[in-house]
Amino acid sequence: MDLSDKRTGIIVLIGILWVIITVLGWKEQHMAGMYAGVILMLLHMMLGASKKGKLSSKLFVYPFLIWAVLWCISFFLSKYYADLYVGKIPDFTVLGFHPSFAWTILTYWIGGVLTLTIGFILFKDEWLSEKDWQDFKQKIQMIEQSEVK
Amino acid sequence: MSGSVKMMIIGFSFLMILVSFLIGWWAKKKITSSQAYFGSTGMFGPLTVGLSSTAAVASAFALVGVPGLIYSTGNTMTFWMLSSAAFAMAYLILGKKMRAMAEIGEVSSLGDISDLRFNNNHYIKAILSIILFVGCVAYLAAQIKAGSELFSHLLGWNTIVTGFIIFGVLTVYMVLSGEVGGLLTQAFQGLVMVVAGVIIIIAFFIMTGGFSEVLNVVSTAGTVTKGEVSKTFGPDLLNAWGSLPGSIAMAWMIIPILGTVGQPQVLTRMYALKNPKDMPRLGLYTAISHFIVGFFAVVVAYGALYLVATGAIDPLPNGDSSIFAFADYLGVYAQLFTYAAVLAAAMSSASMFLSLSANIISRDLPSAFGKKIAPEKQITVSKITMFVLGLVAILFSLTSAEMVAILGTFGWGTLMSGTFPVFIIGLLWKGANGKGVASGLTVGLVLNLLSLTGFKWPGALPWYFNVITISVALTIFISLITKDKEMDPKVEAVIEL
Repeated sequence: MDLSDKRTGIIVLIGILWVIITVLGWKEQHMAGMYAGVILMLLHMMLGASKKGKLSSKLFVYPFLIWAVLWCISFFLSKYYADLYVGKIPDFTVLGFHPSFAWTILTYWIGGVLTLTIGFILFKDEWLSEKDWQDFKQKIQMIEQSEVK
Repeated sequence: MSGSVKMMIIGFSFLMILVSFLIGWWAKKKITSSQAYFGSTGMFGPLTVGLSSTAAVASAFALVGVPGLIYSTGNTMTFWMLSSAAFAMAYLILGKKMRAMAEIGEVSSLGDISDLRFNNNHYIKAILSIILFVGCVAYLAAQIKAGSELFSHLLGWNTIVTGFIIFGVLTVYMVLSGEVGGLLTQAFQGLVMVVAGVIIIIAFFIMTGGFSEVLNVVSTAGTVTKGEVSKTFGPDLLNAWGSLPGSIAMAWMIIPILGTVGQPQVLTRMYALKNPKDMPRLGLYTAISHFIVGFFAVVVAYGALYLVATGAIDPLPNGDSSIFAFADYLGVYAQLFTYAAVLAAAMSSASMFLSLSANIISRDLPSAFGKKIAPEKQITVSKITMFVLGLVAILFSLTSAEMVAILGTFGWGTLMSGTFPVFIIGLLWKGANGKGVASGLTVGLVLNLLSLTGFKWPGALPWYFNVITISVALTIFISLITKDKEMDPKVEAVIEL
């Protein structure tokens, strides 16, 4: 995925999203703010993980996209079950948790680690390979040599 | 609590202080350059850096204040405390770029990276240093106050004497071994927190029988009163959102997750890692240790709720005593590890922020004002600064309660308002220029200070959310409409990496 000519656009979108999320917070539209927050984080990771302007499609699908979908589902289900059982004792639990809070545990917390942390390990070379690092160091050496001349 | 139990807790905690001191003393050997003393640059493997990062991020507030908030307001705060995925996200966003900056110039502090990125722009370095200093001193003062008050209460000693003993030892080992000793002692203290976490989590399940029992008693207990203290329970307390406004839940999800990449205690650890290829493993080790410490804080709050709801203990007059009420009920083994873990949390964050503050005062601010200190003198100057700053911070934290409370409002969000323009926008986007970043930082500093004066922001969002947004948006906007000097090709290579 080539992001080289989209970097400025993505950064502008990041700025706009910060503003939108803040206004949503003022208006107590926290669900929309949380979904927008996931997009904000996704954009930061896309920029940070790209190499020479290109983002690996593997990395984009897993962990990034799967993480983003998982968290959006998590917030949706938390809201759904909180509304369903408002003021009432829930008639079932998930691993002993309130069915609204269970998604914070299963998808936000454990799911977040299983996607981002494990995905980062599995696709580490898509983020930075040994060759990328050696090429970078060589490039710095060449620039330094040309500066001396 | 009986006298013998008190003595055991004190003995166990002082053993931890002694081991920390010995590690700091031993770490002197590893200081071979000013880069090592100031930044531990490129010196350590992922396990050490991971434990150190968790310990530095999880302050005394994480183990005392977070369970207190969950006890008082339900699950809202769990979004913050269960943010273990934030480390992998932080390293994915900025890990390789921060580490790569250490390859293109001498990097011992965040100010050095600002210099490299923005062509030695003194104004940016000065404003960044001021924002970081305010945030670091706020954290430092809060840790000293929490640790000293807890142990003066246990020992029955004067708070100032207790503070000077605990944090005086910390100041001495930090002066002797700088960031090398700081990072290694934080790793040890992180391990103490993890071990304590495992023990308390197991104890929680044995005592309560699991979360369904807690949910059951919390949902049905109604209001429990003892004397003038009451605690009202209800089924909604343990849903995902707790009893605070939804916008607070939103802020407490976005700020800790995305904000981890903007914390100095995480940023500096990115360039302390020896091999940048180890960054994914660093993400794993940090996540595992944070996973345990985060869950520790949650089960402690649930345990306190369970005990009060079942009538095993009286309602707590102050939520912040949840962790101690729970440990005291469990017995001496839990007390030993819990008190040591709280002290470890306070000491690890205090050492991190003492070292950062001293670096800012002795290196970054003088250089921002054009005053160069010869490299061979830098360590000596920093040692003197750190020693004086350590002593002043202890005295200040324990004698100016009102000022510490005011400073306490600075912290995570204030640090983000300084680091996001310089490092996150600055290293992700070639278009970020000196004028844009200087504008974002200046307005950020002014708004941080304005928020102290009682200025009322719209809505229920925490005030720092507004400041971060304005600071980031202004940095981007001004960078778009202005032009700056050409970028150093080496910095360009870092951004491309």
